[in-house]
Formats: sequence, C-alpha cells, structure tokens
Amino acid sequence: MARTEVVAMILAGGQGSRLGVLTKTVAKPAVPFGSRYRIIDFPLSNCVNSGIEIVGVLTQYQPLALNTYVGNGHPWDLDRNNAGAYILPPYQSNAGSDWYKGTANAIYQNMSFIDDNDPEYVVILSGDHIYKMDYAAMLKSHIEKGADATIAVYEVPWEEAPRFGILNTKEEDVIEEFEEKPANPKSNLASMGVYIFTWSVLRQALIEDEADPNSNNDFGKNIVPNLLAQGKKLCAYRFSGYWKDVGTISSLWETNMDILDKPEEINLVDRSWKIFSRNPVKPSHFIGSGAKVKNSALTDGCRIFGDVEHSVLSESVIVEKGAIVKDCVLMPGVVVKEGAHIERCLIDVGTIIGKDVQAGNFVEGEGPYTNHKICSEGICVFERGLKIRDGAVIPANSMVDQDLEVPADCDIIESTFRA
Amino acid sequence: MFNNAMGLILADNKKISLGELSNPRALSAMPFGGRYRIIDFMLSNMVNSGVKNVGLLTYNKYKSLMDHLGTGGAWSLDRKNDGLHILPPYVNSEATNINSDEELTGVIDFLRQSRTPYVIVAGANVIFNTTFDSFIKSHEESGADISVMYNRDGTKYGNPSYILDIDDDGFVRDMLYNPAKATSQRCSLGILCLRRDLLIDILARQMAHGQSHFGIHSIVKMFDEFKVHGFEYSGVVLRINNVQSYFNSSMSLLTDSVRNDLFWSGKPIYTKVKDEAPTLYFDNAEMSDSIVSDGCRVYGKVEGSVIFRSVTIAKNTTVKNCVIMQDVHISENCHLENVILDKNAFVRPGVRLVGHPDYPIVIGKGAGI
Repeated sequence: MARTEVVAMILAGGQGSRLGVLTKTVAKPAVPFGSRYRIIDFPLSNCVNSGIEIVGVLTQYQPLALNTYVGNGHPWDLDRNNAGAYILPPYQSNAGSDWYKGTANAIYQNMSFIDDNDPEYVVILSGDHIYKMDYAAMLKSHIEKGADATIAVYEVPWEEAPRFGILNTKEEDVIEEFEEKPANPKSNLASMGVYIFTWSVLRQALIEDEADPNSNNDFGKNIVPNLLAQGKKLCAYRFSGYWKDVGTISSLWETNMDILDKPEEINLVDRSWKIFSRNPVKPSHFIGSGAKVKNSALTDGCRIFGDVEHSVLSESVIVEKGAIVKDCVLMPGVVVKEGAHIERCLIDVGTIIGKDVQAGNFVEGEGPYTNHKICSEGICVFERGLKIRDGAVIPANSMVDQDLEVPADCDIIESTFRA
Repeated sequence: MFNNAMGLILADNKKISLGELSNPRALSAMPFGGRYRIIDFMLSNMVNSGVKNVGLLTYNKYKSLMDHLGTGGAWSLDRKNDGLHILPPYVNSEATNINSDEELTGVIDFLRQSRTPYVIVAGANVIFNTTFDSFIKSHEESGADISVMYNRDGTKYGNPSYILDIDDDGFVRDMLYNPAKATSQRCSLGILCLRRDLLIDILARQMAHGQSHFGIHSIVKMFDEFKVHGFEYSGVVLRINNVQSYFNSSMSLLTDSVRNDLFWSGKPIYTKVKDEAPTLYFDNAEMSDSIVSDGCRVYGKVEGSVIFRSVTIAKNTTVKNCVIMQDVHISENCHLENVILDKNAFVRPGVRLVGHPDYPIVIGKGAGI
C-alpha cells in the first residue's frame, strides 16, 4: 500500500454543554463511559478495526484530558511509523490565529495535514457517539456508487425524526435534500454525523465555504447543502447496528444502562471488533463477603462491600459496607461511603459520597442544586473531585456544581480536590 | 529510584513443578491473581525501582512467556537503550544440545553488554510488591560481596526451601536445603544483589567447572569465599512451590491485608493489556469474597474464588473456593469446590467437582469435562 487511501478526522473539539458539569473541565469525547471506556474509544477503535491507520483528532475545548488520553495512540495501535493518531489543535500562523469556527472550518484549517498524507478519501467522524461501525464497508459502498460524498444514516422512529438532521433520498439512496430538524419530516433517515468524502471534492467545497462570510462553516448546515446544490452525487449509507448519541445527561445515562439491559446490542465482548482503551493498571476487582452485585458492570480496581444493583462502575470505584447503589453510573475512583443510598446518579471522577448521603430520583423535593435544564428523569449529576458531606440529602434532578453559590446551610460540599 | 542496577530473572525453576499446570508453560508464566502472570510482579518491582535493563533467562516452554511479554511495552521496557531481553537457550551453529553450557554463555554475553554496576538476580517463584532501593542501599552499606533477600517463612511453603543461618552481623554462615528440622525461620527469597563484574566472574568460573545451569543458591552457597549478607524483607510474600502453595497463595489474595500490600501500596503491578469488556453480573448472580477480572459474565453463584478474564459462569452454578483461569466456560447446574481450572477449560452442564482445600482438583488447559 504505497498511497494512503483514507484519512479519518475525528471532531472532538465540542464542549458538549448539555452534559453540564461533566464537561466543565474535559471535552465530551474524554468523558468516561461504560465502565472501561471513554466516549472517543468508540470512533478510534472503529477506525483501527476498519483498517484506517491515520486518524486526526481535532481538539479545541478543554483539550488537556483528551490529549493526555489519546497520547501517541498506542492503546489503539495508532503508534505507527508513518501513520497513527495525531492531535490537531487550533494554531497560530502568519495570517493570524483562529479558533475552529465550525466543524467544516476545523477541517479547513487542517487541510495541509490531509494534503500531506495525500489520501483518496476522507472520513469525518464525531467524537460523541457510541456505536460499532465498519467504515471500510461504507467506503466500499462510496466507491461502488461512484459517490462524491456518502453519509451514514440511521432509521429513527418517525416521531423522533424532527429531532435529527434528516436526509431525503430517491432510488438507490441517492440524497436529494438535507433538512435540519424538520417539523414535518419526509423521511426517517437521520444523519449519524459519519461522512466519507472524496478528498478532492471536499477540499474544493471547504475552500468555497471558507470564502463565504455568511457561512456557519458546518458540515450539516453548509457543506452538504452546497454540494447538493452543485449537483454532486451524495449517497446515504444505511447503518442498522447499535448507535446512540450521548449528548445529554439522560442519553448518557440511558446508553450506559443499555450495556446492562441490552448487552447483545452493543456487544462489547465481540473479539472481532474490540473497543480498545487506555488501561488504568489496576488489579482485578474484589467483591467482599456481604456484598450484593446484580445486573451490573464492573471493572479493574473496584472494591465492593455494599449493594450494587443495575449500575455501571468504572475502575477503582469503592462501595462501602451498607451503601446502596442503584441505577447509577460511577466514574473512575468514585467512593460511596457506608450507609449512603444513591439512585440514578451520574458521578464524575473521584467524587466521594459521604456516609448516609441520600441522593437521586427517590429523594423528593427541590434543592439549591436542582437543575431541570440539564437533568431530567430524576437523574442527579455530580462534578468531579467533590467530597459530599455526610448525611447530605440531594433531591432528584440535581446537578452538584462547586461553582454554584448556595446558601451556607444548604451547602452539601464539604471540600473539593483535584481528581 | 536508581539507575545503577540491571535485572536478571530466571523464568523457570527445575526444582518446582505444578503438575499439569506446568505442562504448557514456564513457572514465571503461570497465571496468578486474576489478571497477572507470576513474572509481572518481579518485572514491575524492577521497573518501579528504576531498572531499565532486564534479561529473562529461559530454557524451555518459553512460548507462552514470549506471547505475554512481547516487546515489554506493558512494563515500559520497550526501549531503544536497554529494555527487555529474552535469553533463550543459546544455541550456536555447532552446539545443538541445549543442555550444554550454552545457557551460561548467553547470560555472560548479556551481562557484559550492560553498563550498570549492580545486578538484581531473581527467581520465578516469589510474588511480592516492593522496590529494591533499600536492598541495594543495604548491600552497599554492609560491604558485602553478595546480598540475599529472605523472610521468616521457614519451611511452611514446602520444598524447595533454602534456610539461611545468619550471624550477628547479618552475614550468611550456613544454608540448608529442605532441612528436615529447620534451625531458623530465615528462608531465602532467591533474590540477589551483587556487582555485575563479580557475577560474570562467578558464572565464568562455574562454566569452567562444568556447570551448565544458572543456580541462584549455588551463588549463595559461596558464603565461605565471599561475604554474603542477608536482607530481611518484612512485607507480604507469596511463594509458589507446588500446586498446594499455588492454591493457598491464590486464596490468600482474598484477605484484605494481602491484597492491600500487593496491589494498593502505590506501586502498580503491570501486565499485558487485553482490552476485554467490563464484567457483567446478571439477575441471579450471587457474589461474595471473590476476585473477578474483566470480560466475565456471571449468572450463577461465586464464593471465595479467584476468577480470571473472560470466564462465563452460567446460572444455577456454584463456584466455591476455586481458581478459574482465562476463557473457562462453566455451564448450568454445576457445583465446583476447591478446583483449579486451567485456561480454556469447558465444564458441561450438571458437573459436580469437589476437591479438598488441602488437595485441590486440577483441570488442565483446554480440558472438556
């Protein structure tokens, strides 16, 4: 293989503001997911499993955790001699410096990276979906149909179609029209944010888009409609496996729960399509006598002495004796102290839940941390690195944020630390 | 952290057999503690001490060891300078009999190429978590030619055991091999510290006397000629001398103090990464007092056991006081007690296997029951 056939670009710069405190200090793709993973493990592993060896990771918002995590790409076998994972932050140049203005502008600013690798095709991915997909099969369809661009689509229930970017197609899935969140959808084919472009076509489109001062520099809003207007051949590629957007607290929680409720759908044990991740180097988990563990996912370093039911625990979580953890997502290093009872809580890295704390959807009422904008379905979210006071009571739909000013007598945060 | 020692690990031990468990692998490649192999502990101890050059001396059955170690990346030993060196029996074009002195020739060549003043030599049958900083420091301060680590295990792990008689100044004046009646509880851990050039001299001399194998205690035995200093290690040590001690050592991991000393003392134990999925516990899973690794699916009951990666335990099955290695499948309605199941074993529905805690049943690699 003398010439590079394909380069993948992962858009990992978005803040993911709908995840509230979970993305206060890390970008969304670096948020822990599914016990062993971070969200970006899915697109990265998909690339490697599809045979793509050059992957650009475009970072912008709070890039430290993501840069450290991706590193030299070693966990994904992306530390090759002449290929691998490349972190691509915004940069300064003679012409000045620019933040990435939109998804298309982010690729535009890295045109020279792609040109240097001189690929035939470019795969554009977003860093915030949980799915397993063979991009090689999609590329095959792109080549066979002679398309200029191919967009992966997912058939969503008709009633949900107005929430998505919808592609209207004619015979052989050739795309006629793109509609962002249509009130009266003509189709139920939602764009998954997975694109394959013939590089020469995309390159030209990016240059034209950059020249248009009124453009949002966005793939969905600008590039795709412009290409359609120019009469380019855009095709839909139907994907029918598991696919979830984890853009909101409720979808992040639900997608974690899918690992327990529908383990065969995402099928993480499939050895032909492993999801790789950076390993925490911790011993196997330990379940003490008197502990109860049911319907849950656990990984290395966990130490369980209490009751864990229907929950997803990341590495090195400790659940003490007499604690009850139900329907929760506990991220690496979370500690739940003796007698605490938590349900439907998403708890970020390292936070310590004090003794006898009551938190979650079973606690009625409202408190200073109640946040109906970010939280729904009774889910409580905790920022990373908090020590929650013993005996604190935290009602459903709370987002515990150390920067929120609350009356002294309502303050449930005993201290904070860097996690 | 120091940079003045290299490591030399003996991958197997001809005096130790774990029966059927030893068939497919060298002792140091024996799976242990859910996700490790025995060698992970010594390699991590060395790496955590700052050792950057490790030689691994093998003479047979080293395939599974090489699969496990690869280029040493998991231990950060995939280095341009130094790194991990596997030293298989050194067979040149004339010598085809690997029982000749080729083993020592290979080691001497490797030692000559290194630049550090000291060598830490270690066997394959001890499991503990430490750094060698204080060992080396004590060696330097004692003015000894050779230092040997020991603890007070006596003969309780069974043979082979080397009991040291140590004088008031801490020097070895006698060593007893498998004594019927131990005169001291000081039992060698088979870990030495000595100058690299001295080790080269000793090995060259042993070769000239017709010795072909590297024997750690044949060096300790030279206490008449060299000053051999004892260094007592007081942390947790698990020894693997036979099937029974393998089983007991595995079970002792279920004790908090042992687990904390081995795994949570701030010095990580590195191992090959397998990227298994998280372990899933289903509706009727009942768990107590057990170590479980990633990639397992548990539908049944597990008590007092050590479960390795990607094990399936089906519903209505009870696993009690067992060591279940990687990729074992245990079907429905089974009852297993005091059993060691080697990798890839398959247990068909309804099987009942009950060993005695003092004599566990061993099921070999890939067996179907």
